[in-house]
Amino acid sequence: MATKSWHLDRRTFLYGSGVSLALPFLECMAADAEARVSPKRFCAIYFPYGIVQRPDGSEAARWNWFPRGSGSDFRFNRSLEPLEPLRSDLTVLGGLSHPNGRNMGGHDTADTWLTGAELKEGHLDNTVSIDQVAATRYGDQTRYRSLVLSSDGGVGEPTRSSTLSFGRNGQPIPAENRPRAIFDRLFGVDPRSLRAQRQSLDSSRSMLDLVLEHSKSVRSGLAKPDRIKLDEYLESVRQIERRVDRSQRWLEIPKPQVSAAGLHLEADDTTPGELIKTMYDLIYLAFQTDSTRIATYQIGNMNGATSIAGKFPQLLGLSANMHKMAHDARKNDAGAEPLGRWDLFLSQQLAYFLGRLQDTPEGDGSLLDRTIVLYGSSNSQTHVNLDYPLVLAGGGSLGLAHGEFRKFSEDIPLSNLYVTILRRLGVAAERFVDSTGDLPQILA
Amino acid sequence: MFRGPWIRIASLAVLATAAAAATAAPLAPSVSSIIQRHCVACHGPELQNANVRLDNLSTDFVDDRRASETWHDVRNVLNRGEMPPPEAPPLSPGDRTAFLEWLADEFRNADESRLDQGGSVVMRRLNRVEYQNTMRDLLGLEIDYVRNLPPDEVSPDGFTNNGSALRMSALQLEHYLHAARSGLSRAIVEGPAPPVFEHRARETVIDKLKDVNWSNRLGRTGTFVARVPDFPDEGEFVLRVRVRAEIPAGAPYPRMQVAMGYRADTQTPSRTVAEVDMSEAAGREFEFRGRIEEFPIQSRTQSKYPGLLIWIRNVYSDGQAPPLGEKVQFEDDGKTKEKLVWPVDPEFPAIVVETVEFQAPVYQAWPPPHHTRIVPSQPQGRRYERRTAGSVLRHFMRRAYRRPVRTAEMRPMLRFFDKVRPTVSSFEEAMRETLAMVLISPNFLYRVEGASSGARHVNDHELASRLSYFLWSTMPDARLSELADRGRLSGERVLRAETARMLADPRSWSFVEQFSDQWLDLGGVDRIAVNPNYYPEFDLSLKQDMRMETQHFFATLLREDISALNFLRSDFSVLNERMARHYGVKGPRGGAFESVALSGRGRPGGLITHASVLLSNSTGEDSHPVERGVWIRRALLGDPPPPPPPAVPNLASGDEDVTPLPLKRQLELHQDSDACARCHQGIDPWGIALEEYDAVGLRRERVSRRFGDREESHPVDAAAVLPGGHHVDGASALADFLFQNKRREFARALTSKMLAYALGRSLGRKDDGMLDELTTRFEESGYRLRELCTIIVTSDSFRRR
Repeated sequence: MATKSWHLDRRTFLYGSGVSLALPFLECMAADAEARVSPKRFCAIYFPYGIVQRPDGSEAARWNWFPRGSGSDFRFNRSLEPLEPLRSDLTVLGGLSHPNGRNMGGHDTADTWLTGAELKEGHLDNTVSIDQVAATRYGDQTRYRSLVLSSDGGVGEPTRSSTLSFGRNGQPIPAENRPRAIFDRLFGVDPRSLRAQRQSLDSSRSMLDLVLEHSKSVRSGLAKPDRIKLDEYLESVRQIERRVDRSQRWLEIPKPQVSAAGLHLEADDTTPGELIKTMYDLIYLAFQTDSTRIATYQIGNMNGATSIAGKFPQLLGLSANMHKMAHDARKNDAGAEPLGRWDLFLSQQLAYFLGRLQDTPEGDGSLLDRTIVLYGSSNSQTHVNLDYPLVLAGGGSLGLAHGEFRKFSEDIPLSNLYVTILRRLGVAAERFVDSTGDLPQILA
Repeated sequence: MFRGPWIRIASLAVLATAAAAATAAPLAPSVSSIIQRHCVACHGPELQNANVRLDNLSTDFVDDRRASETWHDVRNVLNRGEMPPPEAPPLSPGDRTAFLEWLADEFRNADESRLDQGGSVVMRRLNRVEYQNTMRDLLGLEIDYVRNLPPDEVSPDGFTNNGSALRMSALQLEHYLHAARSGLSRAIVEGPAPPVFEHRARETVIDKLKDVNWSNRLGRTGTFVARVPDFPDEGEFVLRVRVRAEIPAGAPYPRMQVAMGYRADTQTPSRTVAEVDMSEAAGREFEFRGRIEEFPIQSRTQSKYPGLLIWIRNVYSDGQAPPLGEKVQFEDDGKTKEKLVWPVDPEFPAIVVETVEFQAPVYQAWPPPHHTRIVPSQPQGRRYERRTAGSVLRHFMRRAYRRPVRTAEMRPMLRFFDKVRPTVSSFEEAMRETLAMVLISPNFLYRVEGASSGARHVNDHELASRLSYFLWSTMPDARLSELADRGRLSGERVLRAETARMLADPRSWSFVEQFSDQWLDLGGVDRIAVNPNYYPEFDLSLKQDMRMETQHFFATLLREDISALNFLRSDFSVLNERMARHYGVKGPRGGAFESVALSGRGRPGGLITHASVLLSNSTGEDSHPVERGVWIRRALLGDPPPPPPPAVPNLASGDEDVTPLPLKRQLELHQDSDACARCHQGIDPWGIALEEYDAVGLRRERVSRRFGDREESHPVDAAAVLPGGHHVDGASALADFLFQNKRREFARALTSKMLAYALGRSLGRKDDGMLDELTTRFEESGYRLRELCTIIVTSDSFRRR
């Protein structure tokens, strides 16, 4: 493997905002690197509780999330209007859902949006999520395997997880939720000398080896449920070992220099607008610097009892928490408007993110052309685990065709889409969970 | 490869037969009759539509997975009203409910017996709070070890110390390693004593920001700032602030907030060091300590904001916005200039800063005690290093593992020391790295209790840990460890004495805070956004005072060992000046919480009228009777209603606009619909009785709601018929009812919550007997809260595993 890298000799100067200053510089490097690597990226963004669906002709139908018309002859309603400028780079998908999710509780499906698993009564073990399947393919080529974000952070509890990503054995991967910490992890500079860092990594390596060895002997003395706990620990140790190996490989290559100017790194759950935008900025910067190629972001989950994100619409002046808003939207026209405005707010944020990707040249296209973005929810209306609202954007250079509103019949499992996405990402996927084939309609 | 499945199926089958005999209940006769009347025509011996046959379907929900899944599907189609199909005769509401309830019970029982079979998790990861406290006590350094740790998992019953809910991940473990290294790099020092920096200020710095009243006098306006030019990057600092106060007779106390940071143009890069009430006018010196690296410090290369800033403010507020400065012209050097002058309000309690002294790093001795506690003496030359390392390790591991350590367990650590030592420049460096390894061992990160076949008493060291994590959320102190070493801890008399000692210790605040937060779900105040259109004067920082009211109320019952029935009905609460002002009650003058009598003030005491509870179970605009009802059933009665089934039909049918109706009327619609009624009859009345209280916990005569520019208002209606037919009207009547009629339920709920917290696991059916016994003893003690702690500590559940 070639160790020479453009990172090594020159340092990229990127700015949280005003990236254009650095572009000519970047572009020439990208051209340099293009020969060796053509990155394929995937990003999934989730919002909870579904969207507005009022009868056609009713007063609130203008807030309907799904567009009017179909095929290439469709018109956005207000909720998705901000996406109009990006229309030729995205597809709105209707009718798809996970068959397994249809039997699950009304608020239980966020966990399975990217996994397609079935979680119910006593059987709460999830399976691997599509982003992590892709990470297995590309994780080793970047400094970080994947970037897992959510507004709540951590893992949460089964069926109300505060993460979208699940590892190989279906174990939840804790999401990061503090922009400052995410930024530091991605771009923070270790003040120690290379020698000191190397020594610390070497030391970590042998420490972890010994910990593994020593802990295995602890295992034999434990009762069965405790062994499961210890195995989880041992698996975590092995994973960090791999991370240490990776850090050793990346040690010589300086982290990209990114200025935090213009980023709201102190944003938290009291400032939802800044928080969501900053999360998008961080994903963008991680992609732009090729720090990772896989990212997930859960804007909120359906845990009314503990989710700190439930109050976001209220803080934005839309009158109620997410859950109540979603219920009100089903009641009547007046109840639908706040949810419509929330849908609109979210699509403005999405448009901002897609716009940044689109405005950043890469090779002979843009960052967006080599990034497949899946945006949506696992409820159409609250409690309804059918007809997921989905936007598929980007990936033009990876073979996706856009500019349409495509409606599918209920017998096509969402996993068929995942098979196609994985294949376009270069993963030789035969199938994904309950897929019955692929979804060639979205290809060019 | 191809043999695997067969073997598994075979062994499962054996298990299934054995277990089925023990757990599968026969089909209830009423349900059997429903199935005969409504289902078998299409799902019986003749026809098996969709491949489903119900008349002979196994009721073994535990081990017959196929049957259990079919029953699950039955439940879904019943919930959604899809079966019986439209062309068949419908189920009567009674039959439908009976069928659904039978299914719900069976699923619940199956879940529990699955738990029983698997045994319960004993090995339990330290949660954030426990990890923070344990690191603090182990290293002797008060620093933030958990800043970057992800939030803990919450168990279904609301606890963050539940062994089976708490998980481990690579991200988590990476943080532990990082926290261990950075903590140890401070705890174990090297080299000569560092130079001490000192600074003394008498006058505030006047920064270029014009609209701030830079002043030594802090009244309605005023900010004092001292700039420390030179300071170390790390180490303990001490701040001595000499101040006097101006307190008008009977007025609230001014409250001094001291913060440190580096930028004058914004408040974000600073962090509060402390807040104190100034309860006397005479000049006084306050001393504050902390670790300098815990505060935002400018980077050394950033010259824009030189120095470290110490901020002093008066954070007392009477709710009025501070006045703006008035422009005043003055002559300077023959030119007319303008400046801002702020009016002085003599009626407003004020602080006058006299001097501020900063000193860092401060240490009693060099090396400091946190060092010598871990490394008592230096090895005298390289030859002796390994021996010193061995004794340091033995001592440290004893404390970190919370039990004596076998020599074999030390071996890998020593091997690691040998490996690291040649690669680093000092003994201390190698020692830090070796101890970091101890701190990521499962024996430290988890509370491990050795396995054994069958039930047994926990040993004294395990008991010491159980005690200290229950009552202190941290590792055992020297006394507990010593009692355990001597095998003296498990005697009932010693256990009682230790429980009393531990509850009297300030560390028991962790128990108060953690348990009351988790039992009562006080974190709810942060989940609800208060709508400023409804409550324009609501100050968001009051949410934390609300939470503290309930915690201090809990602490008072515990400290004074008085009846826990005060949670149901009480003639006092525990308030500070801000909470008292919020409620419109007189008494407290400062930020400190104190007992305040409520009788005759129009506000009944008890948890149901705490603002924390009322806000957490509101919409942020209005009350939420359903949430409040669920809360009462879960927290006070130990009888949580089942979660809403999937695809519940919505409240209103069609497009009829019900939202302007009084909420109580809307809820009555709930009860008209059979699908909702069964559950909501048991939930809503509890919450309706609290309708006199709005979202932020204040009394109201009328309920107002807004629809755009339109406001709807109707008189409060808090009359409700509780399940069982008892009529109550309002919170007082509800508190009386709970106090008189629900003692046993409440006592059992509190006992079970505290037991679950103490054991770090969810309780199951097998705990029922023990729970009844402990509840009875709690009742016999006169419901005394402190006695409940002792009853739990001395119970078999706590002492055995």
